[in-house]
Amino acid sequence: MNSLNSDNNLVIVRGLSVSYFQQKKEVPALSEVSFAIPRGSTCALIGPSGCGKSTLLYVLSGLMRPSGGSVMVGGEPPTAPRRSTALILQDYGLLPWKKVAENVGLGLEIRGIKREQRLDRVKRVLQEVGLWELRNRYPSQLSGGQRQRVGIARALAQEPDLLLMDEPFSSLDALTREMLQEQLLQIWKDKRITIIMVTHSIDEAVYLGQQIIVLAGNPGRVLEIVNNPGVGNEGYRDTPEFHQLSTMLRSKLSH
Amino acid sequence: MDQNSYHKYFSTILSIAALLAGWELLALAVNNPALPGPVQSLDTFINEVPRGLWQHFLISTYRVFTSIVLSLVLALPIGMLLGREQHLDRFAAPVIYLVYPIPKIVFLPVLATLLSYGDISKITLITLVVFFQILVPIRDASRNINAALINSVKSLGAVRFDVYKHVVWPAVLPEMLTSLRIASGTAIAILFFSETISSQEGLGYYLLDAWSRFAYDEMFAGIIAMGLLGLVIYFILDYLEHLICPWKFV
Ligand SMILES: Nc1ncnc2c1ncn2[C@@H]1O[C@H](COP(=O)(O)OP(=O)(O)OP(=O)(O)O)[C@@H](O)[C@H]1O
Ligand SMILES: [Mg+2]
Repeated sequence: MNSLNSDNNLVIVRGLSVSYFQQKKEVPALSEVSFAIPRGSTCALIGPSGCGKSTLLYVLSGLMRPSGGSVMVGGEPPTAPRRSTALILQDYGLLPWKKVAENVGLGLEIRGIKREQRLDRVKRVLQEVGLWELRNRYPSQLSGGQRQRVGIARALAQEPDLLLMDEPFSSLDALTREMLQEQLLQIWKDKRITIIMVTHSIDEAVYLGQQIIVLAGNPGRVLEIVNNPGVGNEGYRDTPEFHQLSTMLRSKLSH
Repeated sequence: MDQNSYHKYFSTILSIAALLAGWELLALAVNNPALPGPVQSLDTFINEVPRGLWQHFLISTYRVFTSIVLSLVLALPIGMLLGREQHLDRFAAPVIYLVYPIPKIVFLPVLATLLSYGDISKITLITLVVFFQILVPIRDASRNINAALINSVKSLGAVRFDVYKHVVWPAVLPEMLTSLRIASGTAIAILFFSETISSQEGLGYYLLDAWSRFAYDEMFAGIIAMGLLGLVIYFILDYLEHLICPWKFV
């Protein structure tokens, strides 16, 4: 496991344990989790419900503290939300009382970036995801797919080097999902942001994750880490490797 | 004027007309001087307005408005805080639940003695009632904000103040207005009671005075004035909601 020490890794997790405390009782959510994610690569986290995938993202984003082990993001433990880490949560990331442009600019506003500069950047990322025309709408006036793209735009506005996504496309219909997967892949190819995404879909994990980390159990442990070098290749979905990997994962996850 | 607000004004006028028609029918059916019809009452109302009723209306309006604003200024920050900071709520909750159900009107004699019979005792009493009626819903709205919403804003680097500014404050506004609508009805009822018990001015006093003189048409002029007070509050809250919660009307 020499990859755990390489400078090339943006995220290094060693022997991580995380617990929740409910009425003073310890509820372990993750136990002895180790992995490393090279800068500029993608990683999919997959596993049964309740195995601690969201918890892991919370720890990586600095919203939760580990109770054991160590986590390094960009060479430092994430004790507070890190400037260049962006987190996209499944449904609730957008504030219903802010218009699209205000939502996208929120992180910049909180950081105290001047209005002019903020608007410039908001415009750029909204144009990038193709939503500039909808900038004055409220989230309730958007479709699920559009909302998710606003979430992505808000993350991009932070100019992150690490993008954490919790089941970003799970509530979308198949067509919209594939379109957004495509768009995410394009963004990754353009900017080489490191992406870690939680997913319930084996297809999505194999299509987007250069590493696929399979978690299982309660508390969650790493069951297996699968390398998936074909990610980003033209027409990857239709290749035999894609199908072999999907079948392999499916059998692992059904145990 | 756009189509929508045109419809709204039209239905407001229509509903008031229906109310007046119902009143007229009832007055005809009862046929008793204790229930004058709307025409006679409105006539008296218009005559009475310059002859003192307007002053009483202003005083009552002043008392209700001051109480509501005071309650808001107190209940909004406290409710938002108690909803988010559990350690504070643990201390405050028992007090709230002990004091909340007491009919505050029983404090009137104490307040009147301590604070004189003027505006202050009435404003304090109404504030006492309205404060709790809006504090509890605001606190609950603040407490029930989705954790994921807060987390996603924190992940953008928000410190506690940002969370209050961008999430908690807007999240409790709709609940605040709803509870104010309910509380304003109670506020007017409490106002009436307090003005009938210890006052020489205000709509409550005006009504009771007319009643004691069996001047039923004046009494109904007073009732109309009270109704108008309620309507004014309703319109203001409605306007406020459009102003501060625009996302609810898209
Ligand atoms: N706030 C909390 N308090 C106590 N226990 C919690 C809390 N949040 C999560 N847990 C527990 O921690 C474990 C991991 O939860 P987590 O949300 O990380 O799972 P997940 O893998 O994301 O599940 P899903 O796929 O359903 O989203 C679960 O057993 C859950 O019950
Ligand atoms: Mg989850």
